[in-house]
Amino acid sequence: MTLRTTALAALMFGAVALGQASAQEAPALKGASPEEKARVGALIEGAVKEGSLSYWDTVIQPGTNDKLVRAFKERYGLPAAFKVNYTLSQTGDLVTRIEQELGASRVTIDVAAISAPIWVFERMNKGELLEYRSPEYAHYKRIFEAGLGVDGYFAFNGGYVFVPMWNSENLDFKGKSYTDMIAAVPEGKLSMGDAANSTTFLATYMGQRTVLPADFFTKLAAKKPILLRRSEQLAAGLVTGEQTMTLSGMPTRAYQMNQKGAKLKFVFPKEGVMLLAPSTFILAKAPHPNAAKLWIDFILSETGQKILTESEALISGRAGFKSPIPEYSPPIESLNLIKFDWSKLNVQDMAKAKADWLNTFNP
Amino acid sequence: MNVSSEALAKPHRRESGAHLPRSAEPAPTSRVWEHGLPALGVLAGIILVLGPFLATVIRSLLYWDVDGTVSVTLLNFTNLLGDPRFLEAARNTLLCGVGATVFSCVLGVSLAWIVSRTDVPGRGWFEVANLIPFFLSPYVGAEAWRFLAAPGSGILHRLAEQYFGLKLPFLNIYGLGGVIWVLSIFYTPYVYLFVISPLRRMDSALEDAARVHGASFVYTLRRITLPLLMPALLSAAMIVFVTSAGLFDVPFALAATHGIRTVPTEIYSSLQYPSDFGRASAFGMLMLCLTVSLTLWQRHYLAARRFETVSGKGYRPRIIVLSPLGKVAALGLELLFVGVGVVLPIIALIMVSLQSIWTGQFRTGFFTFDNFSYVLLNYDLTRTAIGNSLILAVTGASIGVGLSVLQSYFLTRGPARGRGFIEAVLSLPIGIPGIILGLGFLILAVRTPLYSTLWIILIAYVAHFFPLAVRTVTAMLVAINPELEQSARASGATWWQTMRYVLLPLLKPALIAAWLMLFVIFIRELGSTILLFGQGTETISVALVALSERDFGFVAALAMIQVVLLLSAFALFRVTRTSLVQD
Repeated sequence: MTLRTTALAALMFGAVALGQASAQEAPALKGASPEEKARVGALIEGAVKEGSLSYWDTVIQPGTNDKLVRAFKERYGLPAAFKVNYTLSQTGDLVTRIEQELGASRVTIDVAAISAPIWVFERMNKGELLEYRSPEYAHYKRIFEAGLGVDGYFAFNGGYVFVPMWNSENLDFKGKSYTDMIAAVPEGKLSMGDAANSTTFLATYMGQRTVLPADFFTKLAAKKPILLRRSEQLAAGLVTGEQTMTLSGMPTRAYQMNQKGAKLKFVFPKEGVMLLAPSTFILAKAPHPNAAKLWIDFILSETGQKILTESEALISGRAGFKSPIPEYSPPIESLNLIKFDWSKLNVQDMAKAKADWLNTFNP
Repeated sequence: MNVSSEALAKPHRRESGAHLPRSAEPAPTSRVWEHGLPALGVLAGIILVLGPFLATVIRSLLYWDVDGTVSVTLLNFTNLLGDPRFLEAARNTLLCGVGATVFSCVLGVSLAWIVSRTDVPGRGWFEVANLIPFFLSPYVGAEAWRFLAAPGSGILHRLAEQYFGLKLPFLNIYGLGGVIWVLSIFYTPYVYLFVISPLRRMDSALEDAARVHGASFVYTLRRITLPLLMPALLSAAMIVFVTSAGLFDVPFALAATHGIRTVPTEIYSSLQYPSDFGRASAFGMLMLCLTVSLTLWQRHYLAARRFETVSGKGYRPRIIVLSPLGKVAALGLELLFVGVGVVLPIIALIMVSLQSIWTGQFRTGFFTFDNFSYVLLNYDLTRTAIGNSLILAVTGASIGVGLSVLQSYFLTRGPARGRGFIEAVLSLPIGIPGIILGLGFLILAVRTPLYSTLWIILIAYVAHFFPLAVRTVTAMLVAINPELEQSARASGATWWQTMRYVLLPLLKPALIAAWLMLFVIFIRELGSTILLFGQGTETISVALVALSERDFGFVAALAMIQVVLLLSAFALFRVTRTSLVQD
């Protein structure tokens, strides 16, 4: 063996050893079984080669995503050059974008989290979601049983609800029911989610229609509500005093704005609340499947759920998870959830509900 | 005349004149460059115009049945025409267009008249200030006016109540009234630019004659001044109508949230899940029929009319000495316009951008610079968006100007046959609303590698706005006597040498003006971008829309950054113009 060959072999051995050492150093591998180590190690290696991940969500603020990305890279020992491209989108926009990409067979998105259950079920049935049996799914069995996820395809990263919300500096509301809102708010000072342009608000409306009479919505429409597409806009309108109350307040936004000095309050009405569960899935043609699988493992883990709850006040579906802020993010079992089986509905049902909403609010 | 108005007005044409002497006949290679390159520029322009146009036409005629079968039919159109929401959107769009046009014309003519024909104090300053809204983004203006005049929380409402105990229920920026208000503010400079030059060149003897014969001031204005301005005013009105009716930004910010639909917001809505490209394309086609017809009518009208304000005599228009009351009124109108168009929106943006949470009023306890550090340093989207906007603006303006030189050369020095038709085709994008052009390019690009890239946005920008550059350059090119080029060629210069050493240096002021104009437009463009952006290809305007749905402080901070960029371009524009005058 020549000196040159020896040096080359030594270099290669060193590189392999270094690679293994760095992979072994990843916290995700510590204490894992040999099979799990091999599985995660291979995913890490694949992710490093892929170099990036494209993740789209409709709720998580970019600041929270920064925390998630830091923890994600640390957990898997990913290099600093590894990039998570994150986009916060509106649900309708994101669905439209994925539809376009699927239609054109030009998929750029790896992982998406969307509260459009009917649409997600349809995509899954068409084979457009990647089947991936994340070990973390073991902690989400009751979510699958409740129809809020499908083992092997998607669970939710953090649920949320839309509830009556107000600014306590401008309104002293003591009501416990949706119907109490009608008398509490003057015409033109009420806001609500625009169900014609948002699938999450439409889903909420579909759920609310099962526990509230049509008459309630007619009375609500008579208040000439302001229709907005995002929960941030609805909360900001309460803070500025532009509106007095909203039907579609998100406790997450109250939590975030109250930390900055706002005085928003909300109530979980006695009729029940519609839990929106952003189905977190990988697209079958995802350009970075290894990184995507690691992201799913991470976001559903105890660490990922803790960051999401602390920063976004989202409701965790993970078994045994204890919320650090139960007043904003109560345990899922403590909520009176409106029962709804999304798997039995289709796009036509949504279109019908949308038409019904349009006829009532005629925007 | 300001270069921008030259860009918007139809240029005069001068034929290329005498042929080269036989001894100076160019070499065959040179002839290929001379004829081939400009023809290539024209061809590129035609493809850029017709590509998205044909894509939209074809898509509007295709209908997908529930079972997936495709048929060529007019069903998209009949469905649309039978939908009361289409009629509502069309009516609202028409109202916005007409309203903005009327108010912009009244304001634009008044301001131009005050600056050019009266002795109002500070005329030089107002001449510049009146133009500033032209350089700002209407979408940012709409956001700023939300902070100023949103019912119950607007800064103006709070101030009126706090200091005067007044409630201002009529001051509500949401709805068609608010849309027309913001559009009028931002389109007034267009009219101003069109009419200020004819006002300056007008022979005041005509007005003097009327006054001598006992005509009142108002009568003279109505029967003499306005008719003389009519060609320029109608051109301006047409541009303002077509542009404002097709604008997506302002109705999206101020009307859509309140359930008021317009055609551009309905096109956007049609592309949301579940997407209906057929409906969106049919919407686009109907809108195109209107705007393109108006653009062609405008061309026809201007070609048929003669500008009669300029005679061979050298004179200066008579400056009207205003009475003290007249001075106060004129000064008041100027201050009001600059106040509502520039000062108030910028103050509102500064106030909101310096608050950690916006409560409808400035609170010292919430003072922070965090919004600026967030959008400039800590948020990937905004940092990427600023970079993308600068790349698109610099590259797009350069390509647009390069293309405009070739096309202008072809239109002024090229073969006369078919020139009118080519010119008409190349001017069409001005009449195409940005969102419809974006839709056309989306249909074209969605199955290609261009989808979701900066390239497709760049192509859409150039396709939409190159006619403005062509008009600026053509206006200058027709003023350059072809004998200069012929002399160079007779002395042995090749076509390229003639271009490089003779024509391009002479065109330099127009090229700079066209480049700056495109730069400004590209920095603030939203209509065509909103359908074409992807992850990592967001622009400042797209980021503004995203942030406007999330946090007032962030959107105000980013809007201020865009304002600074645009005002820098404006300052550069002024500096360039100064050197132009000195030349």
